[in-house]
Amino acid sequence: CQEMGFFLRHFIESEWEPLHVCSAAAAVVLGLCLEKLQHYQAGVELSLRRSVLLINTLRQIQEDMQSDGMGTCTSEVLLNSSHADSCILRDDVREDMVVTCPGCAEGDGDTLSPPLSPEFPSQEANSSSEQQKSLPAATINAFSDAVNAMGYLSDLALDDIFEDIDTSMYETSDLPSAWAAGSLWPVSSCLMDMNELDHIMEILVNCRGFGVTQAVRSDSG
Amino acid sequence: MDGARMWHVFAGGNDFQWCFSQVKGAIDEDVAEADIISTVEFNYSGELLATGDKGGRVVIFQHEQESKNRPHLRGEYNVYSTFQSHEPEFDYLKSLEIEEKINKIRWLPQQNAAHFLLSTNDKTIKLWKISERDKRAEGYNLKDEDGRLRDPFRITSLRVPVLMPMDLMVEASPRRIFANAHTYHINSISVNSDHETYLSADDLRINLWHLEITDRSFNIVDIKPANMEELTEVITAAECHPHQCNVFVYSSSKGTIRLCDMRAAALCDRHSKFFEEPEDPSSRSFFSEIISSISDVKFSHSGRYMMTRDYLSVKVWDLNMENRPVETYQVHEYLRSKLCSLYENDCIFDKFECCWNGSDSAIMTGSYNNFFRMFDRNTRRDITLEASRESSKPRATLKPRKVSTGGKRKKDEISVDSLDFNKKILHTAWHPKDNVIAVAATNNLYIFQDKIN
Repeated sequence: CQEMGFFLRHFIESEWEPLHVCSAAAAVVLGLCLEKLQHYQAGVELSLRRSVLLINTLRQIQEDMQSDGMGTCTSEVLLNSSHADSCILRDDVREDMVVTCPGCAEGDGDTLSPPLSPEFPSQEANSSSEQQKSLPAATINAFSDAVNAMGYLSDLALDDIFEDIDTSMYETSDLPSAWAAGSLWPVSSCLMDMNELDHIMEILVNCRGFGVTQAVRSDSG
Repeated sequence: MDGARMWHVFAGGNDFQWCFSQVKGAIDEDVAEADIISTVEFNYSGELLATGDKGGRVVIFQHEQESKNRPHLRGEYNVYSTFQSHEPEFDYLKSLEIEEKINKIRWLPQQNAAHFLLSTNDKTIKLWKISERDKRAEGYNLKDEDGRLRDPFRITSLRVPVLMPMDLMVEASPRRIFANAHTYHINSISVNSDHETYLSADDLRINLWHLEITDRSFNIVDIKPANMEELTEVITAAECHPHQCNVFVYSSSKGTIRLCDMRAAALCDRHSKFFEEPEDPSSRSFFSEIISSISDVKFSHSGRYMMTRDYLSVKVWDLNMENRPVETYQVHEYLRSKLCSLYENDCIFDKFECCWNGSDSAIMTGSYNNFFRMFDRNTRRDITLEASRESSKPRATLKPRKVSTGGKRKKDEISVDSLDFNKKILHTAWHPKDNVIAVAATNNLYIFQDKIN
């Protein structure tokens, strides 16, 4: 996390040559992306449209940063994305940048995956063994953190909740793999296509209401 | 109204003007979240105008009848019916609130004295019947006027109940509830031209329903990848063709539109047409994809064209030409230099809608600072107007607004930096047969009409 802040600050405060300016803009957008993803993590059901656009933007920045190294990223990209008066030069944003990365909230100062999804293989992290050579490690961590941030429901111990219920008959073909892989989207793979389960849950809750909630709590606790 | 005038919304220089007609909603500076209008829709005749809000309510306005004494009432609407369409719910499985916010309202073509509309929140679509009652039956044999059973010993003769006039009562009753078919957030509903079916679209799927059947729907589009990590695109809007009941379109977050033919296959995973404009490499930026995401798609009444709204522009496509739009109108190009700030404050994700006038000759869409834009397709003229209480004197002419784009700001111009991004016009509607428009500005509904000189 501190590494991440340092990484961003390094880009922002480094010399303002075109190439670096491009990177600074990327860093700002990256920081905001992470901040937004972090914000959504706080229990707000995020819109899939927004999260897809944010993740795609992250991916684009990742690509741009790689090509930046090869000198194909020009200041035009910056000029189109953020004018001279835009936030990249503002101090408050710089301050924000330092605290935006996911993981800070947990106060663990650690950029590894959150505890409950340790084996989570983010697409970025997986597909980027070559990128890891060309990009600072902090960047990779930031991406996987962001992806983890999206999957805040993946750390919900579903198995605990359904300990007493045989859920196998409700599993569709894509569920097991999705669960095993962890979920990129908060309201996605692991809970999708489960209208039937929704329905059963609704019946349970309607019939026994409070009782079920209690049972779930004590099970998972 | 006379058709000729309809064709020339901007024609004749300054002799055509818009004027204020009405404003609905509280004047209070403190706006309750629940009162924010989230959708606006005229019915097919234009006699009724429905709004939905974030509090789950639907308010229906009825056109005030014109009379010889008061001929200027074209744009006057009064409250006809108000009802709670959706309530907040809780998804116990996901531990998430389901908002009561009305995402869309669509009227059904009128077939009898009653009116029907569909309203939807994120998950559940409801069919409502709005009907009038101005008579009640009196003089039942077994019950008295209060509904209590009469003492059988006191019933000595049979009588025929009679209908007595009473004050007009408008009732809204839920007729069908279409639930449990959407895992993601419903963004569109659209009644098909067969008047029997409708489609509902969420982020990843489109379902086709029969209006009478609530326990099943057909999934006609599913773009959910087997592995959600491969997801790069979502459905942002969908609409049925106004005349061909087998054709519908849906737009995506990548700025493309797919036209599908339901005759081709039950599951329309393969589109029939794919509309996409090649990206201009010179305007590429980090925000290219976000701003090209389509927030609304609407067929023209004729069914020949469709219009799409992205963050900065509105485009008109000929259904016979897929490689580029036939017309592109800049809505607020001056914001291109502000994209980073608009990204920072989340405005860049705002979903602006757009609408056609009754004759497809003009289009309207919203912007920030309570500005809205109209484009005349014949003359290519455009105008920026403002929905504000300052100019809300009866029949006051709306002054065109101008935003200064760099250089020196002229008199009467507003600088980009002083635009209020909290005042946004996302939802507008154009009367299907008249130059009367409804514009939702936060919790207020403005109604404007053209001025006859």
